[in-house]
Order: sequence, then C-alpha cells, then structure tokens
Amino acid sequence: MTLEPKNLADYREIMERCIRCSMCKWIPQVQIKSWKYAQVCPSIDEFNFHAYSGGGRMIVALSLLSERIGYSEEVLNIVYRCTACGACSVSCKYLNDLEPLEVIEALRRKIVEDGQGPLPAHKKYIQFVEEVHNPYGEAPAKRLDWLPSDIKVSKDAKLAYFVGCTASYRRKEIAIATARVLNKAGVEFQLLGEDEFCCGSPVMRAGADEQVKSLIKRNIDEFKARGIEKVVTSCAGCYSTMKAEYPRYYKHDIVIVHTSELLDQLIKEGKLKFTKKVPLTVTYHDPCHLGRCSEPYQEWHGQIMEPISLVKIPVPPKPLRKGTYGCYYPPRNVLKAIPGLKLVEMERIKEYAYCCGAGGGVKAAFPDFALNTAKRRTEEAKDTGAEVLISCCPFCSTNLQDALKANNIKMKYYDLSELVLMAMGD
Amino acid sequence: MVEESQIKDNEFEALVSVVGPQNVSREPAILDTYAFQWCAEILNVTKDRPPARYFMRPIAVIMPSSTSEVQQIVGVCNKYRLKFKALSTGLGAWNCVTTPRSIHIDLRRMNKIVKIDVKNLYAVVEPYVSGAQLQAEAMKYGLNNHMPGAGPQVSPLASATSLGGPGFTSASTGYAARNVLGVEWVLPTGEVLQLGALGMKNQPDWFTGDGPGPSLRGIMRGFMGTMGGFGVFTKVATKLYPFPCKPDWKVTGESPNYNFDIPTYMQFWIINYPDWEHLENAFRRFEEEEVGFMCYYASTAAVIASFSRAREEMASQYAIHTRLKRPLTIMVTAVSEREFQYKKKVVERLLEETEGKDYTPRLKIRPVSYAEALRCLLGFHGFLVSGAFQSVFGGMDTIALAVRMAQKNIPLKKQYIAKKVIADDSGEGVWSTTYEHGQMAHCEMPTMYDATNPESITGMAEYAEKTDEMAITEHLAIPFFVQGDKQHEWFGPHCMNYHLWMRKIKEAFDPNNTADPGFYISSKKET
Repeated sequence: MTLEPKNLADYREIMERCIRCSMCKWIPQVQIKSWKYAQVCPSIDEFNFHAYSGGGRMIVALSLLSERIGYSEEVLNIVYRCTACGACSVSCKYLNDLEPLEVIEALRRKIVEDGQGPLPAHKKYIQFVEEVHNPYGEAPAKRLDWLPSDIKVSKDAKLAYFVGCTASYRRKEIAIATARVLNKAGVEFQLLGEDEFCCGSPVMRAGADEQVKSLIKRNIDEFKARGIEKVVTSCAGCYSTMKAEYPRYYKHDIVIVHTSELLDQLIKEGKLKFTKKVPLTVTYHDPCHLGRCSEPYQEWHGQIMEPISLVKIPVPPKPLRKGTYGCYYPPRNVLKAIPGLKLVEMERIKEYAYCCGAGGGVKAAFPDFALNTAKRRTEEAKDTGAEVLISCCPFCSTNLQDALKANNIKMKYYDLSELVLMAMGD
Repeated sequence: MVEESQIKDNEFEALVSVVGPQNVSREPAILDTYAFQWCAEILNVTKDRPPARYFMRPIAVIMPSSTSEVQQIVGVCNKYRLKFKALSTGLGAWNCVTTPRSIHIDLRRMNKIVKIDVKNLYAVVEPYVSGAQLQAEAMKYGLNNHMPGAGPQVSPLASATSLGGPGFTSASTGYAARNVLGVEWVLPTGEVLQLGALGMKNQPDWFTGDGPGPSLRGIMRGFMGTMGGFGVFTKVATKLYPFPCKPDWKVTGESPNYNFDIPTYMQFWIINYPDWEHLENAFRRFEEEEVGFMCYYASTAAVIASFSRAREEMASQYAIHTRLKRPLTIMVTAVSEREFQYKKKVVERLLEETEGKDYTPRLKIRPVSYAEALRCLLGFHGFLVSGAFQSVFGGMDTIALAVRMAQKNIPLKKQYIAKKVIADDSGEGVWSTTYEHGQMAHCEMPTMYDATNPESITGMAEYAEKTDEMAITEHLAIPFFVQGDKQHEWFGPHCMNYHLWMRKIKEAFDPNNTADPGFYISSKKET
C-alpha cells in the first residue's frame, strides 16, 4: 500500500462494510461525560439528516459509485458541508477499521474529476492560489507586511518559519508573536517572503488534486533550493498538510514542526524561560489539523491472511490513522510551564475535540455553518469557567473569535504564541 | 438510478408545512442513507432479492422537533394515505420502510432528557437520547440505566418501547421491556395516548407503566416490540438503578489505547467449566445468590472478542485459549468494602461448589474493558471478527432452555462453517444472559459473516432460516427476530395463535396500516 491518495472505487469494500451504527456521530463512547457534549460531528449537528454524518457520506459515496443516484445540488451540499475534521474517523476506528474521512476526501476528488465540483467559493480561492499564491487574493508583495522592523531574520538559516497565508494576511498577531518568541529564544530562522506559497491545504480539502500536486512539488523544491532542513509553522493547517499529506505526493526529508512542538522543546532544553506570571485561567482548543489529522500516513506492504474463515487479517498489521499520535501534549506542556496560568480542559479534547468549524472549505462556502459550529465550541469553552480561550491555529482563531463575538461571550482569545510572549515579559 | 415511487408535490408540501423545508427531504442521496442498513442484505435474501446492502428507499424523510409535529405528520400520512416509519438512532434493518409510498420520521431532533427523578429512580427521555448520554447524566446522581447489547450509542426509548433490549447488565437491570414506565405515544391515527401513571387524570406522572392509569404495556410492545410498526413513541420514562459501584469515571490516554481507572469495588471473573451441565448449574447458582452486576455465558470466541482491541489480537488469543471451554462471566460490583468482600467470598465459595476454575488471570483484560462493561460496549466487539454479525435464536425462557438452545445449535452451525459462509467459532458462538438474577434467561447465537461477500450473506440468511425452523421443531422459544406477517403466521400456530391476537391489536389501532407493518404484523382490514 503506497501513500498516494486512492480513488473512490478503491474504498468500495470499506463503504459496503459500514454498519450504520452511528458511532461516527459521537465522541468515543467511553469518553462521554454529559448529554450536552457527547456529539462530535459538526455537520450532523447542523444538518441532522444521516447523509450529513461520516457514515452517511460513505453511503452517499457508495450510491454514487453504484449509480443509484446522480449528481445534484444536495449531493454537493452533503459532500462539502463537512469540515473534514476527521472526528468521525477517530470514533469509527475506536473499535472498527473503516475510513470515513478518507472516503470523503476521495469523494471530493472524484467530484472534481467529474467536473461537478468544487463549489464556486472554492473555485474562487483556488484561482487566487494559482494567481497570487494565497487563497485571499492578496498581493504576494504584501506577504511580509506583518513583519515588524525589529524582528531579526537570518536568511541563511536552516530553519524556516512558514507563516502561512492566514497568519500573513489575516491574523498577523500570530505571525508577530511567533517571530518575537523565536527571536527571544535565540532561534535563527528565515522567512520565504514572496516566495512563500500557500501550503495547498484549502486546495486539497476541496478535492482539487491536480492543482495541489504542482503546489506541493513547488514548495518542496523551494525549501530545498533555500537549504531549509526544518520548517516551523504556527498554522495547524499548514502543519498537517506538510507533515502528513506532502509525503503522499512527494517524499521529502524536511522536518516539519509546529510552533508548540518547538516551544515545548526549547522549554525542556532550558532555552526558553518565562519571567512573568500570567495569572489567567485558560482552556485550550485542539485544532483538528494539529491533533488527529496530523498523524502521518504509513506505507504498508503485506498480505491479507485468513487464519479463521472470513476473518481477514493484514500481516503485518496495517497501520491505521486513529488519531492516537496527534500533537496534543506540546501545547499543553507549554501552557503548564507558564507561571501563574491555570489550564482547565473542555469535555471534548485531543483526538475527540470538537472542530472549530472553519476547515474543509466550509468557512468559504458555508459561513453560517462555520459560525454555528464555532458557537457550539465556544459555549463549551465558556462552560469550563475559563477567562481565556487558547489555540494554535490562525484559521481556528478567526472562526472562534467570530463566534465569541456572535455569542456575546466575554472570553478573550489568544494564540499560544501570544501567551508565551506575555510570559517572556513582552 | 433507482426507480422507485416518489412523493407527490402536494404531499411533500404538506410535510414541509409541518417542519419547514430544512427538516424534510425527498432527495435520493438523503433517502438512500435510510435504505442502507445493518443486516438489510440478509433481509433482502429472505425476500428473494439480491444480497444488497440497501433495502427499500423511503419517499421522504422528515424530522419533527415535538410531539405536536409528530401528530401533524401522522395526520398528513393519514390524509394522503402515506405509510410512515419512525426511527431514532436507527441501527438495524428493522428501521427500514417496507412498503411503497412510505416516509421515514427521523426523530433525531427530539433529543432531550426531560427529567431525571432521583427520588423515584426514573428518567424521562425523548427518542434521540443515547444510552451513554443518559448514563453520563444519571451518574451525576449516582444512578445508572439499563442499556441494550446493541451498545451505548442507541436509543433507550427505542429499545424500551419497540425492541427486546437484552443487555450485558440484564442480570441486574432486566431487559428493555422491564424498564419502561410512563409512555407518551402518538398512535397511527395521530392521537396521543399516555400510558401508566402519565395517563391519570389527576397528578399525572411517569413513575409507573402499569397503573394507576391505563396499563397497556402488553398492547404497546408485547414481547419483542413493534419495531416502528405501531405509531411513534415520543417520550418514555425508563427505570434508573443505583450505580453499581463508585460513579467515578476517568479515562486517560488517546483512542483507541485508553486507560480507565477501575472503580475500587469492581471485578471481572471469567470462570471456566468443563461441560454444559456444570455451566448450567453454575449459571443458576450464581444468579440465586445475586452477586453479579453482570452474569452471562459467552462462548470462548465471544469472550476473547469482547476483550480484544483488534482482529489480529482476537485471532491470536483464540488460538491460545483452547482450554477455555464453557466460561461464565461474572462482574462483581459494590459500593462499600464490606459489600465487596462479602460478594467476593460468595464468588469464591460458589467457585468451589460449582467446580469452576477461575480463568481470569490467563486473559488479558485491560482496564478499559471495565469502562466498556459499564457502558455496554462489549457486544460491539462482535463486529471486529469479520466486519458483520447477526444473532439468531434469541428466545427468552429459562436457563435450562438457554443452555439447550446453545447445544442444539452447534451441529447446524458447523454445517455452515464447513461451507465457509460464516466465521469459524467451532459452532459455539453464544451469548446468554439471565434477566433479573435468573428469573428468566435470554440466549442468542452471534454469527459472524462477511457483508461484502454474496455467498456469505446468502449462507448466513439460509442458516438463520434453519435456526428459525429449529426453534419450532425443537421447542426452543420464539426467536427475537420474528418479524412481519410471514414469520408471525409461521410461528403463531405453534404458540397459541398469538399472531391472531397481535393482528387484532394492529387492526384496532391501525386498520389502514398507516404505521409501516413490515416488521410487525399487518392489518387485513385496510380500506
């Protein structure tokens, strides 16, 4: 089994094996602690029909593949009104071994191949990515507009800070805080500036596979041409795309780390010290793409054995992405290291965290759905009693802050890097 | 494309007027997800159709948010001669519609826990509350609920009103029908009927299902429930029990490698017996002493599957534990050290008396299995084996009959194992539990097949039919999946013509079969 994304038809057996148990709608059953926060899928929470669940989408995909149904506006809604957060896959694979997220992604690729998608909002941002290398249509020359003059950049550094489009153009405070923290910790880094192109995540999530392939190759080539050996990013979307998805298209040996991982490492090595108390009670939102979706795919070469009739066993065991090895502890370690800070957890955390609602092309195509999802998440944050909501993803940041405002919740929102900067006395 | 009957525009508009356009659909892509069901492929074979995963497609799906909306929907169905079928969490082929021009009433939006009455030990729930949700809230008061073996993700209301509902804790919490108290029921005519104390004129409440107030539990659900064929149940009161041990719940780690802090007074025993006689005696004796929060016989394969995390582990363990013959699984729980020590002593004495061997130390039982036991998730491991399973038999009678059922089935099952259409469990795959400490016993034979393999599906269906025949010829009680006219008319004459009474009930309440009768029984009075 190579890592390359498969066609929808390759998932036929998986789709046929769905038992419609609806586990994909809930957090793993042994983690349920309340009526209120038992559900895990933003899409079924919003649209209710079974088709809008992970399992439901597998059935829709099978129906399309089997030509029981044809394309329609509702089919496209079903397929794209999904944040591709992967929570359904985690819950399914607690005891089963189906791949609802992979089927959804394959279905999107098929829709694009068939000329039926993506949606107009996706086409618009994909065109922007092609033309100006970011989904916002902003000028490449403005990519470093966020950069304060006092930030020291080392153009020959082996480490690159990959800012990402959202932090570069929309959430500049994250880029600034990250760069300052790196400076203060004595970490040399280079910036790609105008040569930083979109990582490809929003293009890929829409199913535009052909466009993303060239983008990935270009980015890897750019890293290599600049002598970059390690990339740190403050964006969860860029992180999971470069770490988990790039190797599916082009193998590379560049180390990809998230800011939280680098900070955690610096704290452990004593290179990053906090000098100021931050007496805040905070709760932490796990970005899907830093957590469960960041698990790398692994190649598998083996065969299916049948030691007992009908009991098919892959030998050696086939590695499945179950959300087990996402980046959950580094951000928490950093928060716990900040003097005076108290971390209180939401009910749905780590691999079964509730999505912020922005991903998978949803914020662009279905802003109301994105906002409603973030409202649910911020209500959960509020229920912890925390005064500050923390995360480490610019896209989560935008959507969660939109919801805090819409819900009239008086919590503050900070990116992890901003909080770290405070604790460093800035 | 699938060509099936479609809803007319005026009929659809009438439904839209009840719930708004966002809560009703006639889109084929939406409808197909209600036609695709667990075991639909077996059902198709029994109806002489290809072994497809899809059963019949409804012509519309509608999602009400209140009892009043349910009434209006049923009114629309009566007006336009549409059939309806309600479903809540919706697991299993019996959730499918069976007749053309049928709509699905998906009760997902009715998902509230209306009340937890701590003093009188009951909860009132709407259809889409799951067992795990109810348990999580009940635990906050030190209470627990019965959950069916289908798992914690399914609806307690659906189980209590419309299915059998045996579960892993049945030894102490009975089965679903024994847990239903007051009921709010939208009849196939659209009228609301309130059962039990809820039907009292003065101070109606939910605390009992059998009076004061109208006692119609037998009419409402009978033995196995009407599987959506007799109206819509919109609220139900279900019994609560004291949580069996300290209601602390701490799960750590990441899925699927969870760890669980086992409550202080909780312990599994897997006791090995050499033969059926010893097992039957032990089953009875353990239940006479009422020491088990759980007490069930699961065959070696079933025990191993329920404690395995993956198919690889299950297969390797199965090869190792050849000396595990007739294991009885006991879960002892207590709320105090004194109670726990007492129960442990009883277990040890009974071990000696019944000549059992404690096999527990040889098995790898992870702490998370304790969480899964409390949350009724052990049965779901059955899907690990071959990706699909269904149970046959399922009668409710005595421990003796349960054991006889298990024995009788083995030679038949081996025939189908030899054909390689079902998975090899030596023919012994059984799950049998008592209800209420041995007052009754349930026995079913989980059978693993491959839902992607037509030969396996067809073989499984044939085997299931043979077990039904055996239930009659060997007097092994009525299986729990006797559904629809054909099967009831087959079994009825062997069981005091119960089907005639069942039909009279259907005809009295629903002469036009407005509630889809496909998994219940049909009225012959349709006008």
